[in-house]
Amino acid sequence: MKGLIRLCYTKIIDAASTGVWEKYVFEDTYREFFMQAQFYNQQQQYTTFREILESNPKADQLHYLVSTAAMGYLRQLNGRIPDVANVSGKLCLPFRNFKFEILHSHVKEKDQHKVAIHFYSEVLTWIDMVNGLILFAEGDQRDAYSRNVMMETDMLSLRNNLRISAFQPFVQPSLQRLEIPGSIPHAIEETV
Amino acid sequence: MQRKQFLKSLGLSSLVVPLLQQSCSKGDDPATSSGSCTTTPSETEGPFPTKNPSTLEMVDIRSDRTGLPFTIKITIQNKNNSCAVLQGAIVDIWHCDKDGYYSEYGGTSMQTVDYTSVHFLRGRQVTDSNGLVGFTSIFPGWYSSRAPHIHVHIYNASGTSLLVTQIAFPSDVTDLVYTTATQYYTKGKQDTYNSTDNVFSDSVDEELATVTGNMTDGYVLTHTINVSA
Repeated sequence: MKGLIRLCYTKIIDAASTGVWEKYVFEDTYREFFMQAQFYNQQQQYTTFREILESNPKADQLHYLVSTAAMGYLRQLNGRIPDVANVSGKLCLPFRNFKFEILHSHVKEKDQHKVAIHFYSEVLTWIDMVNGLILFAEGDQRDAYSRNVMMETDMLSLRNNLRISAFQPFVQPSLQRLEIPGSIPHAIEETV
Repeated sequence: MQRKQFLKSLGLSSLVVPLLQQSCSKGDDPATSSGSCTTTPSETEGPFPTKNPSTLEMVDIRSDRTGLPFTIKITIQNKNNSCAVLQGAIVDIWHCDKDGYYSEYGGTSMQTVDYTSVHFLRGRQVTDSNGLVGFTSIFPGWYSSRAPHIHVHIYNASGTSLLVTQIAFPSDVTDLVYTTATQYYTKGKQDTYNSTDNVFSDSVDEELATVTGNMTDGYVLTHTINVSA
C-alpha cells in the first residue's frame, strides 16, 4: 500500500463543449459573468476578464460569483467526478470539493468564454499500480489494510487533466518501530 | 417544460423510458414504439442534466447567519416610464452579517457542493407585477468606516446593468438594535453615520430606507429605487 491520495480532475468548458451538461454550464456561467462583470467595469471601459481584473483587483471575486451559476449543475453530478471512469466505464471518483476558475471571458463575445472546474476527489487509498492502472479503494483504508481485512477496490488509468493532487505515504505501525534505535533492519522485509 | 418533454427535446427519452418501465415494452411514446430494446446507458453518461438557476436566486438569504429577523422589500420604478413600477427587473442584493463580515468569496479558493455557509446574505430576485422583490434576512451589522448599508445591483431582464446603488438605514433604528439586541450585535453603536459616510453623505435623502418593527418580531425595510429602463 502506497498511501492516501486525492485526485484532481480539471474539466475545461468553452464554446466547443458539446455535452448537454457542459452547454448549460457554459451558457449560464457566461450570463453570470456578463451580469456580474458590470459591477467591476461600471464605465464599460474594458471587454475581457483579464482587462477588468487588471484595472480592478477586486474583480478576482468574479471567479466565486460566477461559480454560483454552476453550483446547481455541480450538485446534479451526485457527488461523482464527471468523465473519469474506471476500467468498466463507470464513474468512480467521489467528490465534494471543487475550484471554479474563469480562464478567459469577454463581455461582448460569448465564444471567448472559457472556464475550468477542478474537481477534487475525496480521500482514496492508493494500494498499488497494476499494468499501469491505479489500484485504489475509496476512503481511508489504512485500518483495514493493517488488520489484513478484505477491502473493495477499483482500478483507474491516469488520463489527461487527471493528477494526484495530495499524497500521504502509508507507514505501518510495525514499521514505525524501526525508528527505535536497535531494531532489526530486515524487519522491513517482514512487514511490507 | 415537463421532464418528459424536456428529455424528448434532448433526444434522451428513448434512453430513459426503458429504465422507468423496467422493461422494453412498447409504449405510446413514438421514441420507444420501435419495439427494440435500447441499450441502457453506462454511468459515464452521468445524471441527466436539467436547467438550473443560479444559487443566488433565493428569497431566504440567511444561510447559517444569525441575527435579528429582517425582511427586505424593494420596489423598482422606471424613470423613463413616469416612475411606473418595473416588472421583470433582476435585483441582486448583498450585505454583511451581524459582525460586519461578507460572504467569504474571492479568487479560486476551494468550495464544497454541499456546504453553504460561505454563501450567505447574498441573493437575487426578479421584480413582480408590483415591481417588488422581497428577501428574508437578518438585520445587518456594521464595519469600521462605513454606515450600515445594503448593496443593490439592478439589471434589466436580459442582464444589462441598470443601476448599482446602496440602501442606507435610519440611525435611530440602528442605534437601538446595536445597543439592545446584544445577543447578536456585540460591537455597540456604529462608528460612522450617514452624514459622514463617504457614500451616503451627499445623497442620503434618496438612499434612506424606511425601517419599521421591534426587537421581538424583527424589522422590515421598505425602499423604492428608481432606474432608467
